[in-house]
Amino acid sequence: MIHTIFAQFGAGMTLDLSRPADLTMAIAPDLVLCVGAMILLLYAAWRPESEAHQRRVALGAMTVALLALVAVIVVGLSGWKSTAGPVAVDGYRWAADVVLLLATVIAIGLSMDYNAREGITAPEAHVLVLFATVGMMIMVAARDLMVLFLGLETMSVSIYVLVGMNRRSARSAEGALKYFLLGAFSTAFLLYGIALVYGATGSTNLSAIGGRIAALSLGDSPMLLVGVALLLVGFAFKVAAAPFHMWAPDVYEGAPTPITAYMAAAVKAAAFAAFLRVWIEAFGHLYVAWHDALWWLAAVTMFVGNLVALQQRNLKRMLAYSSIGHTGFLLVAVTAATSQAASAMLFYLFAYTLATMGAFAVIISLGTGTNARENIEDLNGLWQERPGLAVAMAVFMLAMLGFPVFGGMGFFAKWYVLQAAIDAASPQVRLAVLLVIATTISAGYYLYVVMVMFMKPRPEMAPALPVIGAMSRVVIFGSVVLLLVFGVFPDPVVRWARGGTELLPSMAPAAALPTRAGGK
Amino acid sequence: MLLQEAAGAAHPLAGTIAEWIWLVPVLPFLGFIVNGLLSLLPATHLGPADPSAAGHDHGHDAHAANAHDHGGHDDHHHVVRHQYARIVSLVGPAVLGIAFLLTAGIFLALAGAHAEEPFVRTLFPWLVTGGLHVDAALQVDQLSMAMTMVVTGVGFLIHVFSVGYMQDDPGYPRYFAYLNLFVFFMLVLVLGASYPVMFVGWEGVGLCSYLLIGYWYSEKANADAGKKAFVMNRIGDFGFLVAMFLLFANLGTLDFVGVAGQVSELSEGGAVITAIGLFFFLGCAGKSAQIPLYTWLPDAMAGPTPVSALIHAATMVTAGVYLVARSSFLFSLAPVASLTVALVGAVTALFAATIGLKQWDIKKVLAYSTVSQLGYMFIGVGVGAYAAGVFHLVTHAFFKALLFLGSGSVIFAMHRALHHTGSHADAQDMRNMGGLRKYMPWTFGLMWIATLAIAGIPPLSGFFSKDEILASVFARTSHSTLAEATWLGIPGSVLLMLIYVLGLAAALLTAIYMTRMMLYTFHGPNRSGEAERNHLAEAPWVMTAPLVVLGVLSAVGGALNFPAFFGSMGQKFHHWLEPVTGRASLNITHGEEAHLALGTELMLIGIAVAIAVAGILYAVTRLKPAALVPAAQAPESHGIERVLEHKYYVDEAYDRAIVKPVVGISRRVLWRGMDAGLIDGLLVNGSGFLMRGLGWVGARLQSGQVGTYAWVLVIGVLAVLGAFSIR
Amino acid sequence: MAAFLASLNYNAWILPALLIVPTLGALLVWAHGAVAGQGEAAAMTARRLTLAVLVIEFVLSIGLWWSLDIASADWQAVFDKPWIEAWGTRFTVGVDGLSVMMVLLTTFLMPLAILGGWTSVKTKVHAYHTLMLILTTGMLGVFVAKDLFLFYMMWEVMLIPMYFIIGIWGGERRIYASLKFFIYTMVGSLLMLVAIVYLGVEAGEPLGRPTFDYDAILALNLTPTASFWLFGAFFLAFAVKVPMFPFHTWLPDAHVEAPTAGSVILAGILLKLGTYGFLRVALPFFPGVAMYPWVRTTIIVLAVIGVIYGSLVALVQPDIKKLVAYSSVAHLGFVMLGIFALTVESVQGALMVMIGHGLSTGALFLLVGIIYERTHTRLIDDYGGIAKVVPLFATILTIVALSSIGLPGTNGFVAEFLVMLGSFKTYPMLTVVSATGVILAAAYLLWALQRMIYNALDRPANAQLKDLNWRELGLLVPILAGIIWMGVYPKPVLDRMEASAQKLVQEVTRNADRQRASMMLGGR
Repeated sequence: MIHTIFAQFGAGMTLDLSRPADLTMAIAPDLVLCVGAMILLLYAAWRPESEAHQRRVALGAMTVALLALVAVIVVGLSGWKSTAGPVAVDGYRWAADVVLLLATVIAIGLSMDYNAREGITAPEAHVLVLFATVGMMIMVAARDLMVLFLGLETMSVSIYVLVGMNRRSARSAEGALKYFLLGAFSTAFLLYGIALVYGATGSTNLSAIGGRIAALSLGDSPMLLVGVALLLVGFAFKVAAAPFHMWAPDVYEGAPTPITAYMAAAVKAAAFAAFLRVWIEAFGHLYVAWHDALWWLAAVTMFVGNLVALQQRNLKRMLAYSSIGHTGFLLVAVTAATSQAASAMLFYLFAYTLATMGAFAVIISLGTGTNARENIEDLNGLWQERPGLAVAMAVFMLAMLGFPVFGGMGFFAKWYVLQAAIDAASPQVRLAVLLVIATTISAGYYLYVVMVMFMKPRPEMAPALPVIGAMSRVVIFGSVVLLLVFGVFPDPVVRWARGGTELLPSMAPAAALPTRAGGK
Repeated sequence: MLLQEAAGAAHPLAGTIAEWIWLVPVLPFLGFIVNGLLSLLPATHLGPADPSAAGHDHGHDAHAANAHDHGGHDDHHHVVRHQYARIVSLVGPAVLGIAFLLTAGIFLALAGAHAEEPFVRTLFPWLVTGGLHVDAALQVDQLSMAMTMVVTGVGFLIHVFSVGYMQDDPGYPRYFAYLNLFVFFMLVLVLGASYPVMFVGWEGVGLCSYLLIGYWYSEKANADAGKKAFVMNRIGDFGFLVAMFLLFANLGTLDFVGVAGQVSELSEGGAVITAIGLFFFLGCAGKSAQIPLYTWLPDAMAGPTPVSALIHAATMVTAGVYLVARSSFLFSLAPVASLTVALVGAVTALFAATIGLKQWDIKKVLAYSTVSQLGYMFIGVGVGAYAAGVFHLVTHAFFKALLFLGSGSVIFAMHRALHHTGSHADAQDMRNMGGLRKYMPWTFGLMWIATLAIAGIPPLSGFFSKDEILASVFARTSHSTLAEATWLGIPGSVLLMLIYVLGLAAALLTAIYMTRMMLYTFHGPNRSGEAERNHLAEAPWVMTAPLVVLGVLSAVGGALNFPAFFGSMGQKFHHWLEPVTGRASLNITHGEEAHLALGTELMLIGIAVAIAVAGILYAVTRLKPAALVPAAQAPESHGIERVLEHKYYVDEAYDRAIVKPVVGISRRVLWRGMDAGLIDGLLVNGSGFLMRGLGWVGARLQSGQVGTYAWVLVIGVLAVLGAFSIR
Repeated sequence: MAAFLASLNYNAWILPALLIVPTLGALLVWAHGAVAGQGEAAAMTARRLTLAVLVIEFVLSIGLWWSLDIASADWQAVFDKPWIEAWGTRFTVGVDGLSVMMVLLTTFLMPLAILGGWTSVKTKVHAYHTLMLILTTGMLGVFVAKDLFLFYMMWEVMLIPMYFIIGIWGGERRIYASLKFFIYTMVGSLLMLVAIVYLGVEAGEPLGRPTFDYDAILALNLTPTASFWLFGAFFLAFAVKVPMFPFHTWLPDAHVEAPTAGSVILAGILLKLGTYGFLRVALPFFPGVAMYPWVRTTIIVLAVIGVIYGSLVALVQPDIKKLVAYSSVAHLGFVMLGIFALTVESVQGALMVMIGHGLSTGALFLLVGIIYERTHTRLIDDYGGIAKVVPLFATILTIVALSSIGLPGTNGFVAEFLVMLGSFKTYPMLTVVSATGVILAAAYLLWALQRMIYNALDRPANAQLKDLNWRELGLLVPILAGIIWMGVYPKPVLDRMEASAQKLVQEVTRNADRQRASMMLGGR
């Protein structure tokens, strides 16, 4: 039915990206966001800094983001296709955009409460989030390594600043600096990788690269392989895969909590979306070449993340490591590298975004300007004090643990990844086993949080908890509801995620790989 | 199934009173329900009503009579007669009486019917799955009915006796509930038409014996005795179970008719059937207190004396003998197993008799005598003289019940006497008795009858049954499968000779210790003390009357089965059982009746009688009741006497060799070591610690120094490049 | 009766109804808690609500007794609706002989368990009962699931409520116990998750999308290597749940720390899920592996070790709850023996033990809970001689203990007798060894019994104990009735399971022989 509405302006029409007009249409949502952000920036600078102004700008930013979301949905449902070009016009992109904008809206909402609490009055913060999102949307749209790089940098620069937002906090500044240094370091690898790939294939366009590799059978051209390896490093850094994860904990801990949430959810999502697209469209035929590297990357990341998380007593740090663990799980999907894996990844990102955002929202609503309450022990006996909050946190923890029903979508996310891994052209059964083992380990710290909330007594002289900010309420409640509802009837999300991946070329020459029958 | 076809085809008993056989066990069960409910009514709880709670010892039985003085002294709780006592004393014995009459009716019907086949009354299907089909069915045949007569008859007498003996016990209804329940299970045991049904009764009586031994559970010793009895019986039951498994695995059926029909499929004397026999006998050893599982029976004397009479003398403990007779079709095909039964029986008979020589507790003497007499029965059924074995079972039921009840009234009187004066002397120690014949003439006379009977003095019942057994052993030393079989390399004939000799020896000792008991109890001067003496008196008639009946039976019971040379009068019981055990007996003696020349038979009788008389004379001449001093002043015994008094220290040995090690190993090795230590400590929690440890290492790397991070990053890059290049 | 049910079209809706009723009940109780708050009156309403819901549940379920076609071994009362098309997972439930008695056992025990915790649970009453109801759904879900995806979800759903029940309303070391319980179970079940996904994907090969339908997977023809590893995964999951030696160490802690109702449900129902898993999944799916000589022997040896070891360790437990916990290890050892001996008699026996143990051990924990409420001690030595003060309690405890010992006339005997009788055909020696467990059972239970209710009444405090009240009597009597009924006239129960047991034995034996051949070639 909705399709019929969009049929009016050429549903399913094919855009010729060589024509500026069509190109403009192809990046319409990104433009909406970009232009909106710029206008908002002017407005933000118009008035002197103040709490009220900060709020107004935040609301504006959320509106802009929502507009962009609408645009994405409209364009997405209109089902346009496109000729080969610098940007992709496919469901995968729109699906990813939805996740990104969702995370953006939530992050800005949380910032409103958080900044008010911390006395951060800089309105441009919210605008910067929008710019970062623009970068991300470009990343997931990019079908050309240069465009990808453009997006990546737009995103990174904004994030560097956002991490350092809290001028009063030394840890915030430290985090920003670390992130910047290492980020620059890894960007270098990425850029160099792009260069080498271009050198080997003579193109930066993904489909072109893919075509060349196939045509000229560059399977073992050293230059290309080194290039791919360096690209891999670049992405691995952005998604915080071990051993390129070292920055994450410090940065997550230092950054203002909403920004941490934003990074954990959106940055990861964008990086992964772009990562998978590049890997499937451009390097699909090199599967055999990069399979082992990714396999190990996934395995190591899962265990490093979850094992070290066991040791953490600071919630944000713990969530940082847990997000590293999730990176490992997502890398399993990338390793499987099928269109099913792609949709599994999108599904996972969606569920994970809700859970992470929710968890950070809880942390935010626990702390006060004077007492951040970021340690797990601060949750002791939360159940007696704030049953609702405790139950919500439990849901988020169980969702990250991947527990059915009580963890809602979290379970389906893991399930989907497992299914993709085992169903892949080259079944990743071993990796699947590692995944569940790592999951078991992760129970160690997720359950610990649940335990302290429900089974520990509330300390005697514990100061009363602050009133929960309006936005945080909405976010927490919303995430719980979505997680639980989709945790029983995931069908819509599954269809959305699958719809996103039809256009991806099914890839990986199965012949060259071990088949499931023998696989173990 | 098979059974119905066999029986259903117009069995002569079909449609007769025998159809009502199910009512026989059900009646006592109803009694159990009534009394049980009465015992649970809240009003009956008068607080701790156990006189022994204060820890003085009147001998375990004391408590029964404790409440005779309502004045009571300090350490005696005030006990009022149970409010429902009247109903209970009516219901308890009545159900048994009716059951007995019904049984008698069926018995006569059976006698009239001349049934060669057992009559099986199927009530309802019980265990039906896969290849297994076991009905809840009762079997009426000559053997089961003979047993039922004994159980209901003697049971009734003992119930009556209990009415007087337990009248003032606070747990009166509970006592009768247990007693009725016991009779119910005992009847299931003897009437069951298949091994599983029999097993129900088999374990059921064990349970009741457990409950009744520990009836005065507040004294740890009693509770211990009960537990010991149950667990030792369980060891036997284990054998019973395995035997059933073997039967089912090899024959696919478990009911007597079916097994008897198909047993020929097993090779005669083969490993399987021998194993079956031996495992069944393990069960018998547990239930009937044979070596090595006999030690629970003496302890079982902790129960009220009527219980000892009913369960631990007349009925339950003879179940093992009944099982062998019941399974004659199996044992007769397994000479080795049969010889084992006979040998163990013989050894036990002698062994227990020796211990009986030096016991001071009057009930302990009788207990060991019971063990010894059970040994006799096993000699009988072991050598394939099933009729003889069961015959002795019956006569033994008479005179041993009499002896126990008699000792019961003695203890009753003693306790009452001691009680009046508040003395704390042991009411069961013969050293505190003596010269009681003056005070309780009836008991005195009746118990002498029983004593002579058990000693084997003609024409009392014991003489005939015992002689029958010894004669059949002698007769089978040649021309029998047993004689030809070899047992651990020993030729069967030699073994049988040995068994015969052991039997004689046991007979001698029996005569001695029984006479000893009588002398110390009833003869010589009275040692109970001046004050007490005045209170000694005969028990009320409700208790004495059953003694009289039993006395008559012990005297004339032999008439059931006079020796063959009495002509038409002789061998009645033998012929009665022929349909059940006849063929089996013949199997052992190669088809023709084991027959002894009249001369030989008379000679054997002569020997037996001579030995019995010798024993009695020896005791009378050598033992000096006058020389005895009350238990309190009794000197420590020495040497062999001491060993005998301490029952060869077998209990202690078991405790050290089995009980303590098992508990110790379970606690230290299995629980603390294996469970808590290895599995839980090392593996489970250990893996948890390992994970945390790894996490700790990872966390240490997170130094916070950008330099470190950069280096790790570089290493990572090299690793990735490596992964690409190495292929 | 059957006709009446048919007129209601009972089979068409009963199973989903059984799953929905407790769920709605949970929502109801939770909502009431949210509205009415923490007051004592509100708490009582919560208890009443829960009890009502569970009684309704039981009444509904009882119809299965008649509506089940005894002659057929197929899935019955099947209810099938698409769920997540994209993944080929469906909401498919059904019962057969293997599961119907388990369902009834669950619906029978749950109300009693609630009554058992009636007064002992005083804090957060609404949460407690909400979890109880969710737990009910989960357990029933596992028993009726015909789709492996559903099976797994339900399997996990049970975990959380029990985790909270132990962790919040449990004893001193409840936190350790609950975490141990959770992780232990999870280790097993997550590998099972991989196995299930694998099976679903394999079975879906022809359809082009995964399917988790029981029959589809049953029809699957796996390579020996694959089935070996898959069996391993399922084995771990179920062996932990059963629990088999040496995966049992979570049980004593969980049992001891859990509140009464928790222990009752753990022992009565949760443990059966493991053995049910073996019957439903592990054997039918991988007969070749399960019946492969060394695999089979190893498992049976472990089972027998469980019997002996459990009994011996139970013998020396100072804590009555721990004693019962270890006795469960022993009893479940019998179940495993019966299942893997794989004769009709032994499998029937195993099922009977599953039911019987549910009743007798459930009752034991109820009784322990009842006396614990009065004395607040679980140490056997703190009792003694109380039979005088609480004769009713003593009598019932004795009866239940005897059924646990396996005394003829009680369910315990029928069950263990069948197990051993059947197993003796295939594994005579090991069966004989396991039969010694019968002796040990008598030893440890009677010893405990003696130290608790017999001997001298040496604790003055115990002299004032109150005997059972009507509620306690009322919740114990039904169990006693069941214990005696199944000991005296087990035929109706056996009949209901016979067909399925026979089918299981035949199928597994046949397929095992078929696969054995390929195993030889395939190696492993």
